[in-house]
Amino acid sequence: MSAPNQIVPGETSSFESWRTLLKDAVKEVFSMMVGAEVTVLETEPAVQTADVTGMVGLAGALCGVMSVRCTRNSANKIASQMLSVPISEAASHQSDAIGEICNMVAGNFKAKIDGMQDKCMLSVPTVITGEDYQLHSLAAGDRIEQAFVFDTETLWIALEIRN
Amino acid sequence: MASIRALIVDDSSVMRKIVERCLRQAGMDLGQVQEASNGAEALALVNGNQFDLILSDINMPVMDGLEFVRHLQEIESAKNTPVVMITTEGGEKHVMEALSLGAKGYIRKPFTPDQVKEHVIPILRS
Repeated sequence: MSAPNQIVPGETSSFESWRTLLKDAVKEVFSMMVGAEVTVLETEPAVQTADVTGMVGLAGALCGVMSVRCTRNSANKIASQMLSVPISEAASHQSDAIGEICNMVAGNFKAKIDGMQDKCMLSVPTVITGEDYQLHSLAAGDRIEQAFVFDTETLWIALEIRN
Repeated sequence: MASIRALIVDDSSVMRKIVERCLRQAGMDLGQVQEASNGAEALALVNGNQFDLILSDINMPVMDGLEFVRHLQEIESAKNTPVVMITTEGGEKHVMEALSLGAKGYIRKPFTPDQVKEHVIPILRS
């Protein structure tokens, strides 16, 4: 069995270890930068609506896409708490905030994997608003997705790994 | 501590505001605070202004933070201005490269206000 922070692409135990690292990475980012605790949602959420999606590409030893999906309401709350401004003043910052959260989750996640910091580069974030879209990857791969509860709403973090 | 003229360079406007807030929470008397969203914008500001402190991200479009620091060393009036990198790219290779180019400090995102204070205050005092 590999150590929790070693990479063995395609190995189930590695993915489960990565899921743990991903949970830790997300909790730390929200605690330090949003001033909020997120709760891991172990059961599948009933309704999966999300209209703000932040994405950061990973290239190098770990190749894929990290994404953060949440409702516009959650994105506003996240921006509001990051900036310490009322929600009414945060709407124009929601995309920027979700992009930066995604960037920090990706960076924090790769920092938790031995030797990955210098072998994996991150792209600048991209943010999509709207929920009527489908994402297609040109390469086959694996996917780790984890739901969290932020405030009272569900937020999804996913790592698409290209083999 | 005298009033500090700071330049904050990050492609995220949210992050620029958080960094400024952290500096204020650290007890700094910030005078002029200017913002740039990439290294090229920052260089333009450096050419027309004098700063006491620069905080810069690395991953940015147009010109990244390492390239910015490299160019900064070619500007006589700015090459001694302390630069602190604030970035998700926290690997040893990036840290060593930034420091070798002239950066004085390195803070990895995510960060706490205390971490900003711990890194920046000693650099300003030295």
